[in-house]
Amino acid sequence: MRYLRLLGLFARTELQFALEYRANLALDLFEELIIVISSLVAVLILYDHTSAINGWTEGQMIELLGVYYLVQGAQAVVFETSFERFMEHVRMGTLDFILIKPVDSQFMISTRHVQVPQFGQIAMGVLVLAIGIAQVGGGFGVLDTLAFAATLACGLLLVYSLLLVLSTLSFWFVRVENLLAIFWSFLDAGRFPVDVYPGWLRVTLSTVVPIGIAVTVPAQAIAGRLELAGVVAMIGGTISMCWFASWFWRRGLRSYTGASA
Amino acid sequence: MRQLLRVYRAIFVAEFQAAAQYRVQSVLWLLFAIIRPVVFLAAWSAAAATQGGRIGDMTISDFAAYYVAVTLVSQLTMSWNAYDFELEIRQGKLSPKLLRPLHPLHYSVVENIVFKVATMPALLPVLVLIAWTFQARFATTWGHVLLFVPSVLLAAALRFMFGWLMATFAFWTTRVHGIMHVYDRLVFLFAGQLAPLSLLGGLASIAYWLPFGYMLWAPSEILRGGASIDQALGMIAIQAMWLALSWLGFLGLWQLGVRQFSAVGA
Repeated sequence: MRYLRLLGLFARTELQFALEYRANLALDLFEELIIVISSLVAVLILYDHTSAINGWTEGQMIELLGVYYLVQGAQAVVFETSFERFMEHVRMGTLDFILIKPVDSQFMISTRHVQVPQFGQIAMGVLVLAIGIAQVGGGFGVLDTLAFAATLACGLLLVYSLLLVLSTLSFWFVRVENLLAIFWSFLDAGRFPVDVYPGWLRVTLSTVVPIGIAVTVPAQAIAGRLELAGVVAMIGGTISMCWFASWFWRRGLRSYTGASA
Repeated sequence: MRQLLRVYRAIFVAEFQAAAQYRVQSVLWLLFAIIRPVVFLAAWSAAAATQGGRIGDMTISDFAAYYVAVTLVSQLTMSWNAYDFELEIRQGKLSPKLLRPLHPLHYSVVENIVFKVATMPALLPVLVLIAWTFQARFATTWGHVLLFVPSVLLAAALRFMFGWLMATFAFWTTRVHGIMHVYDRLVFLFAGQLAPLSLLGGLASIAYWLPFGYMLWAPSEILRGGASIDQALGMIAIQAMWLALSWLGFLGLWQLGVRQFSAVGA
């Protein structure tokens, strides 16, 4: 409860900060709109020439695109900037001020810089998802919805765990933005289902950089293409990954000695 | 002229030494350059596979050849100078450069070329890997190879000039990230990253009239042998025209911009 309140507080201060640059904020939102629309156009053009891609129909592909922007937006809202700042703190030696605060430090560094304007991306993700659902037509059951919610949450946690592990490495290697850049570069591949990619890329997107799974599995769930076993495997995998990331974080924290002290 | 060559050599040496210090960084930028073409190649291949192996007049192997060419061309024509320029304006680093006898453009020309030379050895094996994974088939003749050289040079110059054209807006707005992102999306839609222009459907007729296709699509089609020699010559002519236009536009904007530029943070 206390942590939720803190989260709200972070969001409020960051929003005030963002509102100082209003023209920039408007431009950011405009940009996000353009990006989403052009991605949608890309899907439409592909389906101009075919009725299905690896069994995914046009509506299902639009749903997938919606999920992609949901995941991408959610991680941009909460984690992206926070982790960037965290690495800066390690380098500058200012992390000490965060560590002495009476709050769980993992929570603090993961969520401190909530980017409110990025909510636009989430909203557009929801919109695209709705367009996809409308196009597919027909209802989907309670079970599908549950599976979707569960796998989406898992997908986000998977991405979060990976980011946490990568950022934690900065305790040992001071410059790891490069590793994060690898993650960003693969993000683009999340816009299509992992099964269209050749072997090496599919494996990368499902294990090392789990953005592929994080997007594809929830989209499969909403398209009713997911078996129960898949949901269970996803949940199991996520729990172990989260546990590992958290352990790794504590391990890194112990070896942190402060810079320039 | 001799003077200019001497200056160029000096900047070259300095830039090469700087680049050698950031090897990892260059490889990362390479990753960004490769992922997007591979993503769309995979999507088009999967689509073609559902359609019995071909879409329009392109088979999966043609798509592979096209996207291998696009990857190479986008790396060779890459231009990021607008971002640097914005930073220089914001941090007040532009002013000393403006005072030097050489136009700031020259520094980024050299920086640009050095980056491309430095990343090429890492890119080529990756291109071979992609071509092999998707079984690319090139219909390239010697004539195509010959025409590819001027075409890719023109494309690089064109993209470079457009980058600077965008950058010049920073004289007025200080931040150009927003403008650059919109520009990147136009490139994404109309330059042939998303699909070869002929497959753009209703957008194709617009795309042929815009400059973006002549930055990536034209040299790529020539390299894979997808355009006849006559068509290739036509594309090169249009490229030259766009280059001349963007050069004029840049000169005009730059002069206006410098005149009303007031330094930041000095």
